[in-house]
Amino acid sequence: MPKVIPVPDELSQPFWDAVNERRLVLQNCAACDKLQYPPQAACQVCGSADGLEWKEVEGKGHVATYIVIEDGRLNRRMPDQPYNLALVTLDQDPTVNFYSNLPGVPAYQAPVGAAVELTFEEVAPGQLIHEWRVAQ
Amino acid sequence: MTTLISFDIDGTLEVGDPPGCITLDMVRAAKASGCIIGSCSDRTVSNQQRIWETAGIAMEFTVLKHQLDAVKEQFPAEDYYHIGDTDLDRQYAERNGFHFLLPDVDVVQLWENGN
Amino acid sequence: MTSSNNFQWRRDRDGLGVWEHRGKVAVVGYGHSPVDRRWDGVNLDTSLGAYTIMACEKAMEQAGVTIDQVDGIVCCDSHIAGGSGGSASNWAPRPYFDPPYDSEYGITLINAQWLINAMGFKNVRFAPTGVPTIGEMMGMASQAVGDGVCNTCLVIYPTGNLEGRYRRGGENADDFARGARQWTVPWGNHGGNDFINIFPHNQYCLKYGGEHDDLAPFVINQHKNGMLTLWGFNYNHGIEPISVEDYKTSRYILNPLRIWDCDRPVNASAAYLFTTAERAQDMKSQPVYVLNHSQHNFRFRTTQPDLDEVEMWTDRQAARMYEGAGLGPADVDIFNPYDGYSIMTQFFLEGFQWHGVKRGDAFAFYAGDISVKGPHPFFSSGGNLGNGRTRSAMYTDSIEQLRGTAGDRQVTVRAETALCAFTTPSSGGWLMLGKYQS
Ligand SMILES: [Zn+2]
Repeated sequence: MPKVIPVPDELSQPFWDAVNERRLVLQNCAACDKLQYPPQAACQVCGSADGLEWKEVEGKGHVATYIVIEDGRLNRRMPDQPYNLALVTLDQDPTVNFYSNLPGVPAYQAPVGAAVELTFEEVAPGQLIHEWRVAQ
Repeated sequence: MTTLISFDIDGTLEVGDPPGCITLDMVRAAKASGCIIGSCSDRTVSNQQRIWETAGIAMEFTVLKHQLDAVKEQFPAEDYYHIGDTDLDRQYAERNGFHFLLPDVDVVQLWENGN
Repeated sequence: MTSSNNFQWRRDRDGLGVWEHRGKVAVVGYGHSPVDRRWDGVNLDTSLGAYTIMACEKAMEQAGVTIDQVDGIVCCDSHIAGGSGGSASNWAPRPYFDPPYDSEYGITLINAQWLINAMGFKNVRFAPTGVPTIGEMMGMASQAVGDGVCNTCLVIYPTGNLEGRYRRGGENADDFARGARQWTVPWGNHGGNDFINIFPHNQYCLKYGGEHDDLAPFVINQHKNGMLTLWGFNYNHGIEPISVEDYKTSRYILNPLRIWDCDRPVNASAAYLFTTAERAQDMKSQPVYVLNHSQHNFRFRTTQPDLDEVEMWTDRQAARMYEGAGLGPADVDIFNPYDGYSIMTQFFLEGFQWHGVKRGDAFAFYAGDISVKGPHPFFSSGGNLGNGRTRSAMYTDSIEQLRGTAGDRQVTVRAETALCAFTTPSSGGWLMLGKYQS
């Protein structure tokens, strides 16, 4: 079954536009030089909104840990159960993390600690989401 | 050939919480017709066994909701049915090769049409 | 009447010092309705409204307080499924009845105005709207009484549950993820404290050693304590304590989170009565005193909180509570944190260092004697896991332990101070109670 489709809002539109161009861009505060994801109206460190800019990051990360969704509440994903939900930290700044279903990895077999690379998955015509694939 | 019927409890049987529409008499009739019957629920096995002991119905199996695969392995039958009231019942049934039926008075056709 | 919006009651920062009303506010009564699995949508004697009235009457009766003496009502006016339940927590449309059950209020929601009308309170001068959950309400009422905003204040926490599976449908049935959900739902996280805490819990097991099923003795002990709680769901519905085998063979919800790690949504209401320590002397019940309250609402730094964040947050909660109460870990006799999911409880136990338990020690502590009659009567209430998702067992047990009225649950160790909460690592509130004013 297809995944649930994200609906961009004013704040997140540049993020999803970039994803649709197969790029991962995160907010970066010029003053603090700190990456921020998900996007917020202001820098969570210094509170400044002016210094935030979109910065493309390198799509490399690691699997910190994972769970297997066996009895979730999302109608659209029920046929997928059981499926992996991994926590992926970004190598460039491990305090930034992402969720991933680790496409291609069977349920219960996610390699904790493994390196992963950014990939993209179409969830609706013209709408991609960022995903992570175990690095070869 | 034999039919195997697995009954969920809560939301399915009259003794469930919430009560469902499948009466204990219907369960007795299924057994009398020669079906292999048992319960499959999130209740502990000991709690399920107590229900059947109280009702005076000898069940062939009492398993947890995610253990239908073991039932299929243990009991050869021509057709396998699981009667339950949730999406999860459907998922576990279909994943393990059981026909899934919602609790409905029509399920009596499973055993009334001869076995 | 005062709204919660302009009354500064929160103690939600570090370094606030000893609470200015320490020992000057008392809890003088509590009341519980029956705890049902669901409301049947028909019987008006068992609706959330009827149950809330019942709980209030019991709390007032315990203290010998009459309707005309109550001048404050702090009533949680949101559904227990709360913001994270989103639209999935709304079962409407449904049939309504004659007044007072002619709207959602009285059925799945209760607010102060509904209660004032239904029970005929005449002298209420503090009845805020937009009231948070019980974890924060206890602090809100304590501060209101301490500040003199009201003198005799009912705190009401209704927890409704109707037919159908909890939090199914609504936005969880949507093909689209809007707002904050765009960052979680496409990958399967529909939100909730199960998701928030299961990842740090996994990291905890990796960092300190141990495995998920090391929680079994804790969960089983919660069930045992629940069977000693005469008003709770488990006791009244024959939910026998589970065995280690029952736990270890139970199915997974979010593997490794098992079904027995999750509490059971129920339909029930609870009420607590607060007043000044001075007035409490004239009431017929034995008062217990509020020694501190605090709240927290920590912001996630990224998508998913990790173990470092959770440990930092719970350290800060502990520091705030101990500082405000003028007490330390060794002074706390009764400890009733939160267990809506069993996987978050170790973070509180270690953050507050109850009975000397440090980071990474919880599973070994659980494996020891944590029974109510033993030397470490951890979570003597049985919490949500032992009583259903009322989120009130922690408070009632703490009051009863300090009064010495906990019956078969009464601990054999000293019971002069109690820490209780409805909280998650990121948000919620704590209450410190004392048998004595100081
Ligand atoms: Zn900044």
